[in-house]
Amino acid sequence: MNDDVNIETLNPREDKRGTAEVKRLLGANGLEAEADVQVFVVARDRKKIVGCAGLAEGVVKCVAIAKERRGSSLAVRLMDEVQRLALNRGQSHLFLYTQPKRAPLFAGCGFHRIVEVPDQVCLMENSPVGISEYCESLQAFRQEGQRIGCVVLNANPFTLGHLYLVRQALRECDWLHVFVVAEDASKIRYADRLDMVRAGLAGMDRVTVHSGSRYLISKATFPTYFIKEMREVETCSTAIDLLIFRRYIAPALGVTHRFIGTEPFCRVTRKYNEDMFKWLESASVEGEPIRVVEIPRLEVEGRAVSASEVRRLLTKGDFAAMAALVPPTTLSRLRALYAYRTQLKAGHRAA
Amino acid sequence: MKITKEAMCGTLESNDLLVKVVPFGGLQVSIYSEVMRQFGARIREVVDETLKQMGVTQGKIVIEDKGALDCAIRARVEAAVLRGAECEDLDWRAL
Repeated sequence: MNDDVNIETLNPREDKRGTAEVKRLLGANGLEAEADVQVFVVARDRKKIVGCAGLAEGVVKCVAIAKERRGSSLAVRLMDEVQRLALNRGQSHLFLYTQPKRAPLFAGCGFHRIVEVPDQVCLMENSPVGISEYCESLQAFRQEGQRIGCVVLNANPFTLGHLYLVRQALRECDWLHVFVVAEDASKIRYADRLDMVRAGLAGMDRVTVHSGSRYLISKATFPTYFIKEMREVETCSTAIDLLIFRRYIAPALGVTHRFIGTEPFCRVTRKYNEDMFKWLESASVEGEPIRVVEIPRLEVEGRAVSASEVRRLLTKGDFAAMAALVPPTTLSRLRALYAYRTQLKAGHRAA
Repeated sequence: MKITKEAMCGTLESNDLLVKVVPFGGLQVSIYSEVMRQFGARIREVVDETLKQMGVTQGKIVIEDKGALDCAIRARVEAAVLRGAECEDLDWRAL
């Protein structure tokens, strides 16, 4: 029925005319063309675009089919092509956000439901075994105990504040699982952040340090966390990320408590903390409730220790001032990674 | 034969199937089908047989079936494995 339709790719940075047409199609379907879409797959009937699907860093978005083409399995062809294109770009595991009422359409295109905020949004992935295999891999790290805690750190970089949070949390539980956010979205690379956490917590009993994953504060589960300049924090979806934690990650590890530090500075993180009580503790949400424990931030000289302050000092190359805010293990790593570069910069300035 | 890179073959249109292969320590096959209850056992038979004939020992094979015939299943699995194993010297007569 769609033999007259060609499936093509369209680069929104190059093809302005095509992009304008895609925008019209999306608009007619109550959607917007999101700025981070790297490539669109479009279905063209002679000249006219009758369907589109966008791909942005492993997340499928902006999917629309012209009214007259619905019910003709065009969506399947589009989504097949999106998956092929993503695989060629080295991204085989895709996520997709949609309205819950549209989920059945994408289920027919190889996408499987992970979690859903009723009447609002549903997160799907293009693997029938993705989240379940991830949970199986976590189960190997299960520990027995009455109170099993969890903290998720960006550790950008790992500070005395993080160390304090871990120590305080450990006093209140039998075992603590520490996750490090895996997204490589900032100056300090993920591998280095993970290394700093492992070094900072080395030798500590009752602690497991886990690598992060795309199911935990990633661009897929929590896009806004990485776009902090965005002012509309209120509308950001913390719910999806927290629901995945409650329904999958916590049960896999037997987590009963989630520990967080109070957030005096960053609005996105503060909003995330507030929402945590709602999505993890509430009895009206599916899954065993998880207690959220907020621990006041460590203060040094009357100021809460913050990683962003450390990053600010890092740009200046002020290692002496950093020493008061980070453990020696972090300081030596930051030196090894950045001292040379800041010297170079200073040298440039002097010259 | 080992799966050394991610690859896929097929589509999710009716009467077809999508096969994805991923590098993995052991051999693991997951099958999902719209006609699982009627034909699940037969699909698994065809898949296992094909993998055995090709001598696949390592890889994760994920199959989503939309009611494909045996010959289609066999062909899709073969193609996905060949892509994922980056195989050059294959005894085609054995297949």
